[in-house]
Amino acid sequence: MTDLLQHLLLGFGVALSPMNILLCLIGAVVGTLIGVLPGIGPLATIAMLLPITFGLPPVGALIMLAGIYYGAQYGGSTTSILVNIPGEASSVVTTLDGHQMARQGRAGPALAIAAIGSFFAGCVSTVLVAALGAPLTSAALLFGPAEYFSLMVLGLVFAVVLAKGSVLKAIAMIMMGLLMSMVGSDIETGQSRMAFDIPELSDGIGFVVVAMGVFGFAEIMRNLEQTDTRSVVNAKLTGLMPTWPDLKASAGAIGRGTVLGSLLGILPGGGAVIAAFAAYTFEKKMARDPSRFGRGAIEGVAAPESANNAAAQTSFIPLLTLGIPPNAVMALMVGAMTIHGIVPGPQVMTKQPDLFWGMIASMWLGNLMLVIINLPMVGVWVWLLRVPYRLLFPAIIIFCAIGVYSINNSPFDTVMTAIFGVIGYWLVKHDFEPAPMLLGFVLGPLMEENLRRAMLIARGDPSTFVTRPISGVLIALAAILLVVAVLPMIRSKRDEVFVESEG
Amino acid sequence: MSEGVRASRQPSHGGLKVRNPRDFWGGLALILLGLFAVWASRDLPGMHGFAFGPGTAPRMFAFVLMALGIAVMLVGYFTDGPALERYEIVAPTLICLSYMFVVSGQGVAPRVVAAILLLAGVVLAVIGLMGPRRQLVRGPLCISISIIIFAVAVRPLGLVIASYLSIVSAAAATPEVRWIETLIWSAVLTVFCVLLFPIALNLPLQLWPTNLSWSSLLSFR
Repeated sequence: MTDLLQHLLLGFGVALSPMNILLCLIGAVVGTLIGVLPGIGPLATIAMLLPITFGLPPVGALIMLAGIYYGAQYGGSTTSILVNIPGEASSVVTTLDGHQMARQGRAGPALAIAAIGSFFAGCVSTVLVAALGAPLTSAALLFGPAEYFSLMVLGLVFAVVLAKGSVLKAIAMIMMGLLMSMVGSDIETGQSRMAFDIPELSDGIGFVVVAMGVFGFAEIMRNLEQTDTRSVVNAKLTGLMPTWPDLKASAGAIGRGTVLGSLLGILPGGGAVIAAFAAYTFEKKMARDPSRFGRGAIEGVAAPESANNAAAQTSFIPLLTLGIPPNAVMALMVGAMTIHGIVPGPQVMTKQPDLFWGMIASMWLGNLMLVIINLPMVGVWVWLLRVPYRLLFPAIIIFCAIGVYSINNSPFDTVMTAIFGVIGYWLVKHDFEPAPMLLGFVLGPLMEENLRRAMLIARGDPSTFVTRPISGVLIALAAILLVVAVLPMIRSKRDEVFVESEG
Repeated sequence: MSEGVRASRQPSHGGLKVRNPRDFWGGLALILLGLFAVWASRDLPGMHGFAFGPGTAPRMFAFVLMALGIAVMLVGYFTDGPALERYEIVAPTLICLSYMFVVSGQGVAPRVVAAILLLAGVVLAVIGLMGPRRQLVRGPLCISISIIIFAVAVRPLGLVIASYLSIVSAAAATPEVRWIETLIWSAVLTVFCVLLFPIALNLPLQLWPTNLSWSSLLSFR
């Protein structure tokens, strides 16, 4: 316990330096901004801002990028509540009850409860990240190649189970991602693989290139097909503070949302989006009168907003302790860390304690800032929502183009982004989910490396993955999950969750 | 990917009765992608003894992908699903592929292929933009072209000209475009980009053309 306090003190010492406070603030503001604006997510933004962090010290860079991710969870709720369009994928469910509240003239309490819930969840999950960091890091030392491989299989299976739509197609997407990650040089022999003598491909396809194409450009192509109909709730935002009954009604929901979100964030393949859906569904099942949901129930705002923020933060746990990104945004953080010469994994905590604990402390600080950014300044964000999309999207495109170009000063990478934009657009048209593909793409090289090592150690005997105890348990879990997902009865329930929340 | 796209544009009635065209053609495209990967990794050595070779994992993933593609295709053939949402991406695909050929090798042959692909892409784009589905052609086409313009122009012409051209062509992606407004807005954004990236963030980006020559323009790198 004293250890934890000491570590946290060290962390706050790092996070409270004026430079890092400023970077945390910038991250939180930018995160809120992109959270508020529909059609641009944290993934594209972090990708876009990666080159900006080149000149910064690694701690500052990661503090800022992390701020963008959890900041987006706050900002997304504003748009959901006021415009009935999710500003962020993770606040889709918030539109259901949040917008209803706004139409009943209770936009203020809805916004406030979203921010309070997010703040509470942020505080709890910060402590959780700090507390779980050390034990998980020592657990990571027990992991050999076989265990790592099995853990990644489990993570990918989670991504499949939690993705909406067909299980088969989600697995196919993972396979496509794995295959794409094979482009480049072989780890052991250095032989060029599927690179077609293009020098820019000898290092593989850049992660930012894929992410920005599939999540940035494809998203814009898709948005352009829908004519823009945004009607911001015009009612004056009076009475920001929720009433006492509001607070009492949502306290339980915030607590449950936080727990659920924290759990789903840690699990590989989870993340903020899933957490919000799960928390909403859970809350509706728990409620004495479920029919209130969808008609402005404050729990329907409190639970998912707490959950998405908790998940956004706890998803740093597997990244920082095991070095395995649990979702696409964390995968991008791997890229950011690599650029700064940090190899994510258990050694981060021991070798760079200032980075590890500084980042954790900054998360709490960032959450505090976000409450201030979001509540008193909500008017600014509302004004921003009135900027028409026809002006917004060319700006996003040029920022992305310059961003991706400046990572390697490579025109080739920039064109590749356009190609992945077209591919991503095609995938959406055919109901393929790009998120599992991205996860497969990131885990591909890691999986291949560990698979090869494990096979080598076991002298070519694949049963090593089942006979080693930890690995065996992980594989068994993955198998059980997959079976459960494929069972049609549970399948239909799984779809139901998404149907009712999207309707 | 373009093969699957072309295939999916064929009428889905005719001889085949596909009940879920999204899955059916999507699966087919995955199979083709897998085949392409097997072909592309044909020269890589496979297993030696119990150790993986460079080609083992790529081929393994490619074969699994093909198997999954077949499964997705079969599911799409036998179960009901929503109709295919229309899209037009052949022209941007051809134009992007043309760039790949330019950079993929030395000599004349790749450039000839590239020129043919580019010509085909442009012709298709023009036809598409005049045709009845011009709004579907417009979005993906303008956005891809905008990015490619930036990519090929930023080195020889500098950030200012490249950004301006790129922003204007991106803005054309929506039918809601207002031209005067776009020209002014593009200038504002260009100024902002110049202030942000090379000046505030100190990224090494050339602002104006330097040593402009045909060879620098035509290197496309």
